[in-house]
Amino acid sequence: MKGKHRVIIETRKVKYDFWIKRNITILTGDSGSGKTVLIDFIREYRRYGSDSGVSVICDCDCRTLDNEDWERRLQEIEGSIIFIDEGNRFLYSKRFAELVRKSDNYFVIATREKLPMLPYSVNEIYGFRKSGKFHEAKQTYNEIYHLYGEISVQEGVAPRLVITEDSNSGYEFFTGLSSQRNITCISANGKSNIMNVLRRNETVRGTRLIIVDGAAFGSEMKEVSEYLAVRSDAVLYAPESFEWILLSANVIPDVNVSAVLSHPEAYIDSKEYVSWERFFTKLLMDKTRENSVWGYSKKKLPQAYLSPKVLSAVRKFMKLIVWDE
Amino acid sequence: MLTIIYGDVEESIYNTSVYFKNTYEPEWLESKLAKRMIKDVDDSDVLSGECINSPVLGQIPPERLSGGVKTLLLILNEPDKVFNASTCGDNCAKWILEIGSRIDVTINLRHMMGFGKDTEFEVTIKNGGEIAHSMKELLPIASKYLNAMKQE
Repeated sequence: MKGKHRVIIETRKVKYDFWIKRNITILTGDSGSGKTVLIDFIREYRRYGSDSGVSVICDCDCRTLDNEDWERRLQEIEGSIIFIDEGNRFLYSKRFAELVRKSDNYFVIATREKLPMLPYSVNEIYGFRKSGKFHEAKQTYNEIYHLYGEISVQEGVAPRLVITEDSNSGYEFFTGLSSQRNITCISANGKSNIMNVLRRNETVRGTRLIIVDGAAFGSEMKEVSEYLAVRSDAVLYAPESFEWILLSANVIPDVNVSAVLSHPEAYIDSKEYVSWERFFTKLLMDKTRENSVWGYSKKKLPQAYLSPKVLSAVRKFMKLIVWDE
Repeated sequence: MLTIIYGDVEESIYNTSVYFKNTYEPEWLESKLAKRMIKDVDDSDVLSGECINSPVLGQIPPERLSGGVKTLLLILNEPDKVFNASTCGDNCAKWILEIGSRIDVTINLRHMMGFGKDTEFEVTIKNGGEIAHSMKELLPIASKYLNAMKQE
């Protein structure tokens, strides 16, 4: 499935109105915010249609899935948004992850547990809150909001240590960028090691900057954000991916993908790409394949990407990171 | 005293919502602490053991309380059992600590619940017997056990 889909679910008392644009969306946050109520409404609408008193408006089917016969049902559904509430143990199974990875459906999952086998984005983790929009109305309007941003600070930050999730090209690039300013850069060798590396480097004097692929870092986000809340000397920068930064910096000759970058959801098929990070990697590789200087590889970064021009463009793109003190 | 077991726990009741629906007692809702928790988390008033007034949904039965409040009521009223408290948002964390300050309870956490960056508490982590007094102390311990969780 591709594209951005608006979901409006309404009863006389409550209204939800939001957009879903990726294969995996996580609803989490405080208790009592209305996640289960939303999923119950959809379930009742599926069972009883308009007799339920629930109105569901969306350009594709909205369905719910629970423990009963979930695997067979999931294999039969296509082109739908599937809502799953907490309390379903299959959410954490390898089989579920396998089926999501090649699914033609979008999934909206209400959970607080991390799902490390599913590469979901930090940008698609939402909470619900009551909107002040219809303050005096009888109907409560619930809106969703991003729980996490691309960067965990509001003001410029000058790192003393850079920790990358990536151990290949991204790490090579940020090592190059950091070394220009005598900043140490180390690799965590994967998202599940970020917390360990942070803890091992707590004696560093100054700010530790963690750079991760936001498109697939969702499962680690709660843990890392709790860490950031108690440690003011660490900052998380979670752009979609390293390749997304390179494409967005618009510095590679003859590669201009601004149309794709402004609406990736229109180009990325959930059945083909389990995460946007993989799409951007393939896009960069495809666009530079014929170029002997710029031909991109995730394993080994071509020297051209470490040129002063590219380093400078990326520095400018990473607005809140102050590389020059 | 509050004891936490992080990760998979065989005896833990995972789907607390279904368990609550089939086991709750109306009296559970009538204690002062229950009323305070329901008011704070769900912004709702207890009218009786079978009826709650929600500002959003109107008069509702207890099974339509939020998943977090239902789990709090289970922890409070069935302290001999272990419940999956990952059905509770961080807005329930202070109530879990409150219950733990009154009676001995053990909860199962499958995620990094935030108890508040400046909150002082004392919890025992049953996995390895550690004791933590703040989020700063709890984070590395919880992280270790949560990352050891197996996906099957």
